[in-house]
Amino acid sequence: MTDEPSKNDDTLPPEPPDDVHANERPTVNPPFDLEAFARVASAPSEQPRARSDAPTNRPPSLHGIPQFEPEPRTARITLTNEVEQERARAQSGRSVTSSVLSIANARASSSPQVAAVQAAEDGGPPPGAAPSSIEAAVLDAIGESAPPEITERMIEDPVAEMRERFSLGDYSGALEMSELILAEEPDHVDAAECAENCRTVLENMYAARLGPLDRVPVVLVPRAQMRWLSMDHRAGFVLSLIDGSSSVDMVLDVSGMPKLDALRILHELVQQKIVSFR
Amino acid sequence: MDKVIGIDLGTTNSCVAIVENGIPTVIPNRGGYKTTPSMVAVTEAGKRLVGHIAKRQAITNAENTVYAAKRLIGRKWNSPQVKNSVATSSYRIVQGPHNDVRIVLRDKEYSVSEISAMVLQEMKLIAEDYLGDEVRKAVITVPAYFNDNQRQATKDAGEIAGLDVIRIINEPTAAALSYGFGKNVEKTIAVYDFGGGTFDISILEIGSSGVFKVIATAGDTFLGGEDVDARVIDWLVQGFREEHGMDLRQDRMALQRLKDAAEKAKCELSSVRETEVNLPFIISSGRNEALHLQRTIDRQALEGLSNDLIERTIDICRQTLSDARLAKEDIEEVLLVGGMTRMPKIQLAVAEFFEREPCKGVHPDESVALGAGIQGSALVGDKHDMVLLDVTPHALGIMTQGGYFEELIPQNTTVPTHRTKIFTTSRDNQTAVKIVVMQGESERAEEDELLGEFILTGLRRAQKGMVEIEVNFEINADGIVSVHAKDLETSKEQSIDVTASSGLTRDEIRNMMEGAKDYMVERRSSEEFEAAKQEAERFVSEIERLLPQVEQIVAASDFGRDAIDKARTIVTKARSAIAKRDIATVKGEIEGLSRTHRMFKGVVAKTH
Repeated sequence: MTDEPSKNDDTLPPEPPDDVHANERPTVNPPFDLEAFARVASAPSEQPRARSDAPTNRPPSLHGIPQFEPEPRTARITLTNEVEQERARAQSGRSVTSSVLSIANARASSSPQVAAVQAAEDGGPPPGAAPSSIEAAVLDAIGESAPPEITERMIEDPVAEMRERFSLGDYSGALEMSELILAEEPDHVDAAECAENCRTVLENMYAARLGPLDRVPVVLVPRAQMRWLSMDHRAGFVLSLIDGSSSVDMVLDVSGMPKLDALRILHELVQQKIVSFR
Repeated sequence: MDKVIGIDLGTTNSCVAIVENGIPTVIPNRGGYKTTPSMVAVTEAGKRLVGHIAKRQAITNAENTVYAAKRLIGRKWNSPQVKNSVATSSYRIVQGPHNDVRIVLRDKEYSVSEISAMVLQEMKLIAEDYLGDEVRKAVITVPAYFNDNQRQATKDAGEIAGLDVIRIINEPTAAALSYGFGKNVEKTIAVYDFGGGTFDISILEIGSSGVFKVIATAGDTFLGGEDVDARVIDWLVQGFREEHGMDLRQDRMALQRLKDAAEKAKCELSSVRETEVNLPFIISSGRNEALHLQRTIDRQALEGLSNDLIERTIDICRQTLSDARLAKEDIEEVLLVGGMTRMPKIQLAVAEFFEREPCKGVHPDESVALGAGIQGSALVGDKHDMVLLDVTPHALGIMTQGGYFEELIPQNTTVPTHRTKIFTTSRDNQTAVKIVVMQGESERAEEDELLGEFILTGLRRAQKGMVEIEVNFEINADGIVSVHAKDLETSKEQSIDVTASSGLTRDEIRNMMEGAKDYMVERRSSEEFEAAKQEAERFVSEIERLLPQVEQIVAASDFGRDAIDKARTIVTKARSAIAKRDIATVKGEIEGLSRTHRMFKGVVAKTH
């Protein structure tokens, strides 16, 4: 046993001590069956988890800027969660812009940190890294070209599309569709109801990911280094509201943004390890 | 003995103070700040925000954030100040049912007293949190130039907030009280008050046995630190436009950050020679990237930007001294009040004008509230050694033929007072005269404020100018103005008592008080729930952390499994109660959670 058994995951073998001498302490028999414990401990883990202290291949931090690090892949194949689904959906929207579905999703991917997240996951340049001249030229060209027009006419049956996306749990996509319908038909009852439901689900989803909203978020990045991060002005604004004393609830109140947008941005900032909680 | 708080209800910031064990003390708010922005907002979700939190979203939610409500309080809809505010405010100001002013927030109309009451309620809460007891009595300060209606409206605001306003005192008087506290001074002093939204200069006499008398007062209700902030914002916007060709004013989020940064830079430049404004990701370039604002501003640049504003305050000082027929040498002390007076350039300008170094002994942000606290303490305590002699803030008189204003009681006359003047009829065989009572300084009656009117009938028929009518004005110690008109020949007389009105009826005030009480109950209950929720969640989190270890330890025993099942039930119940916001159940489960937590800790501890 190590010095601090409570830190050990019960499905993981005991950690080899760094310093053998440090563990040379008299032991006492624990008030439970040691053999039973050993059997459990050596049995294959039902839910193996990544050890929090396991060595990572993370490169040294660049000038102290936190780098986005994808979550280590677990041994078991698990179902994805809504947030990952959102992220993947956003990425698919960026990479496959030819289909109607992905064009609609591409709008949602304007979520501020998606670009950084995507770059990190694709093994691309780290957030904040300056693009090469070719990349810059391509980015400029993209920036100058007109964004694709998204209209209801491009989709054969937007209401059916909206319902299908909702039933598949693609709430962001369903919200997108419902907003599209409402832009054309502001009194569309189904679309209004769907939009409301999607917002509620998405808000709850991001709020659950953030944890209790009375927690106080703090900025982890030194002020002088902030400009080297990759984010848009909306995320920059939310970041400016984090003062180390205001709770998440207060930040949402003062952001002046729709709650869903503020939650989404805040969640992405936490994911990027730009923001943490006190 | 009741605790009495002193509240400086400012245009941009408010402050609350109390005398504790004989020492005047400013009470900090929950954030630790000693002043609280006098701002009220309503969010999209209908949540009310007051103070710093309202200020931080003032630009992004501009239509639903009220600032500088003090400029509107007690004013009539058609007054020039209201017109000015309507033209310059981001929130909607509309005409009320009694020719008063109403503010629209999220489609609901509020009276100005109601908005001020929200700020006062926040100050009351700050004091109650600090004292751990309910506070009922307060002394509130107002500018010396406030007329009776404005004073009454402030009193009504206090009443709506659940406060018994035992005295309204002038801000410069309060500052002087704070300055003179514990000292035996007899001086003529000037109070130069340059706050966030307004500028006031007042001349006071501090007499023997603690008599404070306002000799003269003047100011500008649309001149303050925010004008300096606006200059800094202009400077930053201009620089950014030159660099990037983009207008930051087009983006509300950018503007909100600029406003905060400009104010911060202005404050910093009072103590350092230069400071950096660094606002990363301030605006989208439109090319999939955000632009940063980074600029250094020095004290000299700030002084250049605000020079004319400082000059305006000095011009008002010059005019006030002249009106009071005082020379600079008559001023024996100059008190600096208001955050802007921290600016070295202002201190220098004041020193140059008055030809003396200003007093550094009063706190620019706190002295007014401290003075109000001192006065409150004196009013309920045994020591009644302070007499505040206030003056009429504006001249009082009647309207005469041709629409002129005839002054009976001049501005700055110490109250109580009375004056009499003889008038004659203006037409042949005139049998009745209308006495129109007014307040103001303009010769044209239409530019002054109407206080009331009455008709004196039964006059003797005679040629014009032959009938003499004696008009007598009297102001008592409570500030009530009585006007009597008497036909000197027949001794027939009529009179009127002019009582101040905030523009609200008693019923309206009562309804608003009920609304404020409901809000407080809701807020207190929400706070109580949040506290219980936090405690319950802390236990739940600890129990869940210990659960795997305890499960392992007690796996072999049936008794252990039973205990774990019970623990799980308690945690589930607590979670469900939190989700339903059922405060009674959450509170009820805390004891069980605490017991379970203790037990789990004990079990785990035994294994080590």
